Amino acid sequence: MKYEVRYKPAFATVFLTLNPGDRLTAEAGAMASMSAQLTMKTEFFGGLIPGLLKNFLGGESLFVNEFRNNTQQPLDLVLTQSTVGDVGIVELTGNAICFQPGAYIAHTPGIQIGVQWAGFSSWLAGEGLFRLKLTGNGLVFFGAYGGLSQKRVDGDYIVDSGHLVAYDPGIKMSIRLAGGMFGSVTSGEGLINRLSGQGRIYLQSRSTSGLVRFLRPKLR
Amino acid sequence: MKVDILHRPDSAIAKIDMAPQEELVAEAGAMVAMSSHLDVNTTLRRGKGGGVFGGLKRMLAGESLFLSVFRSGTQPAEIYLAPKLMGDILPYQMTITDLVVQSTGYLASTPGVDVELGFQGLKSIFSGESIFWLTARGTGLVLLSAFGAVYEIEVDGEYIVDTGHIVAFEKTLNFSITKAGSSWIGAFLGGEGLVCKFQGKGRLFCQTHNPGAFGRLIGSQLPPR
Repeated sequence: MKYEVRYKPAFATVFLTLNPGDRLTAEAGAMASMSAQLTMKTEFFGGLIPGLLKNFLGGESLFVNEFRNNTQQPLDLVLTQSTVGDVGIVELTGNAICFQPGAYIAHTPGIQIGVQWAGFSSWLAGEGLFRLKLTGNGLVFFGAYGGLSQKRVDGDYIVDSGHLVAYDPGIKMSIRLAGGMFGSVTSGEGLINRLSGQGRIYLQSRSTSGLVRFLRPKLR
Repeated sequence: MKVDILHRPDSAIAKIDMAPQEELVAEAGAMVAMSSHLDVNTTLRRGKGGGVFGGLKRMLAGESLFLSVFRSGTQPAEIYLAPKLMGDILPYQMTITDLVVQSTGYLASTPGVDVELGFQGLKSIFSGESIFWLTARGTGLVLLSAFGAVYEIEVDGEYIVDTGHIVAFEKTLNFSITKAGSSWIGAFLGGEGLVCKFQGKGRLFCQTHNPGAFGRLIGSQLPPR
């Protein structure tokens, strides 16, 4: 399998070439275009029960599509995301990565996908009760609204809810008011997410909840 | 006429330098700035796509009822045109091949090009996304607009595109609405729904992002109007 991310960072789009026998699993709706000979099969996301949990509580689609090249020639596949922004790629070598709802785009075989209880503090932060955890060996593609920044956290770190895209499973979340009750209301930061632990985090430079908050009062 | 596309691909805007006695047709509302002596008319164009009926058909297609016509008159003039969404603008040179344009993808054209509703209209109702297509025919330049970047596929054989990602394609290509996977249940549950399958030989222009998907993502979080 070959891949290239083009039109970074505003319109990052994954252009893949699947060689004979190659497989790739992608989020429902991620396919923009593809060779007609490519076989597409729809499956429940990580099995039926995790799929249901993910759909009702994690805010993502219940289904994923598996693309498979059953022919004897290389075939093309173009994957994208619903928001404009950058695409990140993580290589897993036996480790895991967690995603916030909406960030996952695709993964190669050799990776298991699971839905994990994220806790009420995650839900309060507007991040959903469940989180997506991918484990195994292979590549994971994920998307952001805006640019992507990677950071290594060691100890405590604070992020605004809505900007966190992905993080190592060793990182715990807890919800705090930003700077006390008064400061929290006046600074416009509201609830913040205090991370603790060690590992990588990925942040997106814009948040869809921020766009919604901007648009909401303007609707008439 | 000289066309420059500036700020590609994310915030593309077309800067058009017009010689005297030249004319340009554009989607109403696309003008950003222009020389003050440019003569502006709104038109219900003559020909197959013109007249009141043609205009009504264009309105159904998500196009404005009126197209704006800009005439330079005796002096050279310049005009800037831009679409509403973030994304690229694609200049396409029309010759003998007709071009089918997704209804929201039309930005402007030179007067030798006729724009009308294509016969694909009915077929596409089942595709769920943008319902109508425009057919551009004639000789001249068409400016297409896209949500995201535009990538070109030289189709030779068969190729599948999600309906929300099509900008335009040459009419030498046949297209049919079909399911992307092997089963009908999967086609609806899998989020890809129905897709367009192109057959034949010709150029196909796709946009990297789907305006409908972005609209649903944000729109579902907004209060009903």
